[in-house]
Amino acid sequence: MLFFRSEERVREWCRDQGFPVRPLVRIDQLWGLARAWYSTRLQPASRRPQPAEMRAIFAGLGLTGAFWDPQADTFDQGPTKVIDSA
Amino acid sequence: MSADFDLAVKLAVYRHFAATGARPSPGEIAGRVTADADAVLEAYRRLRAQRVLVLEADGVSIRMAPPFSGVATQHVVEAGGVSYFANCAWDALGIPAALQKPATVRSRCEQSGDPLRLDVGAEGPGPSDWLFHCVVPAAQWWDDIVFT
Repeated sequence: MLFFRSEERVREWCRDQGFPVRPLVRIDQLWGLARAWYSTRLQPASRRPQPAEMRAIFAGLGLTGAFWDPQADTFDQGPTKVIDSA
Repeated sequence: MSADFDLAVKLAVYRHFAATGARPSPGEIAGRVTADADAVLEAYRRLRAQRVLVLEADGVSIRMAPPFSGVATQHVVEAGGVSYFANCAWDALGIPAALQKPATVRSRCEQSGDPLRLDVGAEGPGPSDWLFHCVVPAAQWWDDIVFT
């Protein structure tokens, strides 16, 4: 989970590292994720979002699709490096 | 041991990180919760199973109490005169969200090395055209959370 200066830098990094390009997340969306996960973390009643809650949080920020599904069992492009056929 | 004890340990760990920016030792937490260090380590293991903490291979040292990192990283957050390390880009914004304090996030572009500075207020960071990217799908984040 990393920061990049631009989409071009993401694509260069993925190519260089042999990873597929994943969905790009804007900083305002990332702030939404950070608040959803951590705004109550120092309080006694805090807990991690459960899968259905995670889906709702992601969808509310416009992050949809199998990549963001915490229970997807059909997403077959894990972190394993891909071989560039070019 | 009760769930109340585990909660007390969890809160003591998080409050130590929030106050100091550094990971506590089991002995420090034992002093906070009035228990012995072995009981604290047993709680650590249960909290790891709940994905609350991530431990080092020694089973004693805290690697992650998300969003806080127990080890130095490229993601540095300064808030209230305290410096923190975050586990990742997401957690770099998670620290000001957790502390509910204004903060400055410093990191870098992973490809170019360009420095990033984000000033985060109560409403979040100001406008920025930087991006966040994660190679691991959500369903696999905890398969290897350190890599994620």
